[in-house]
Amino acid sequence: MSANTKQFKSIGDDLWKSRNEKINAELFTLTYGALVIQLIQDYEDHSEVNKQLEKMGYNIGTRLIEDFLARSNMGRCSDFKEVGEVISKVGFKAFLNISPTVTHAAAPQAANTTTGASAAGGLAGSVGSSFSLILDENPLAEFVELPDEALEGGLWFSNVYCGVLRGALEMVQMQVEATFVSDVLRGDDTTEIRVKLVKYLEEEVPVGDD
Amino acid sequence: MSHHLFLLSPSDTPLYQLTHQSTRPAQSTTSALSSNLPSWSASAFAGTVAALSGASSISSSGAQGASSKGGPVGGGQDRHVVQMIANASLDVIEETMKTNGAMYLKSVEKFNEWTVSAFVTPGNMKFVLLHESKNDDGIKSFFMDVWENYVKTMMNPFHTAHTPIRSVVFDNKVRASAKKYL
Repeated sequence: MSANTKQFKSIGDDLWKSRNEKINAELFTLTYGALVIQLIQDYEDHSEVNKQLEKMGYNIGTRLIEDFLARSNMGRCSDFKEVGEVISKVGFKAFLNISPTVTHAAAPQAANTTTGASAAGGLAGSVGSSFSLILDENPLAEFVELPDEALEGGLWFSNVYCGVLRGALEMVQMQVEATFVSDVLRGDDTTEIRVKLVKYLEEEVPVGDD
Repeated sequence: MSHHLFLLSPSDTPLYQLTHQSTRPAQSTTSALSSNLPSWSASAFAGTVAALSGASSISSSGAQGASSKGGPVGGGQDRHVVQMIANASLDVIEETMKTNGAMYLKSVEKFNEWTVSAFVTPGNMKFVLLHESKNDDGIKSFFMDVWENYVKTMMNPFHTAHTPIRSVVFDNKVRASAKKYL
């Protein structure tokens, strides 16, 4: 597994370096910050803002995965664990130049099932397993301090990440739930996103084809 | 020996205020002023605003809702005097700004034993420091530090140009920097 990890790291590094158009980090941070502020002013309800950020992330994710697969030429991941590794070492590295740490958790025993796996053509990994991404630096939230209303309202400032992960993985036939577990902006020790596999998606016939 | 720092927005709204007791040995006797003032006065901010609007003609921050706390008013003339001096010096600062393009305007005014030093940022924020002793270099470094911390606070998307600065992080940094340089 460590050979794979090294490979992923070098692939991620190469992707980041080979990209010619990079954007100024402060501009990116300020833009995202302005976006969140505007959403808060428009919706005034922090849980609604969370939902909207997730939706926006979903739209970004569905498009981002194409870009990612085209550039990285990675094949199918053998199991959900590998999915976590690839996302953290190649994905985040290539787009944001950060390397979150990933920890895996197997599915709880009762929910152990492999029916979904066989239908998806050989993908192993029980439904219900999850991995956690721990971000030690978050480019979206540089210089941000949450005011008290945001803290009380339960705002996850970087919720767009959850949407991106959900959208991207849905395009590769995995339905996942991505949620924030903790956030340094809220005063916790780490920023952690938990991604849980709900099920593998079957190929669906587009409506109207028959 | 104490120092009073005021941060004023371009529209002369007070955004931040700090009173700092210097631990450095002062050359003169401790003035009656310093002994009365508390070493940390951010919690009386609303009172400060009320006092400012009362003590001077600049009352743009009246919307803060004058909380007539007994604290600052009871704290004595001292507080009022300090703020009056700070406000009075704004005129002088603006005069100096017209001629002097530099950011750090040294001592713009003297009032009894208080000297007023000012620092104007490119964004037209004024940092006004009242102090008793002469400490140009230290004050300059202090202002630069405050400026840096201010810029970082400005980068916070939740902060707008005219909101009072309530960030604890900023507060701690400015206090630490005051200890270091003043």
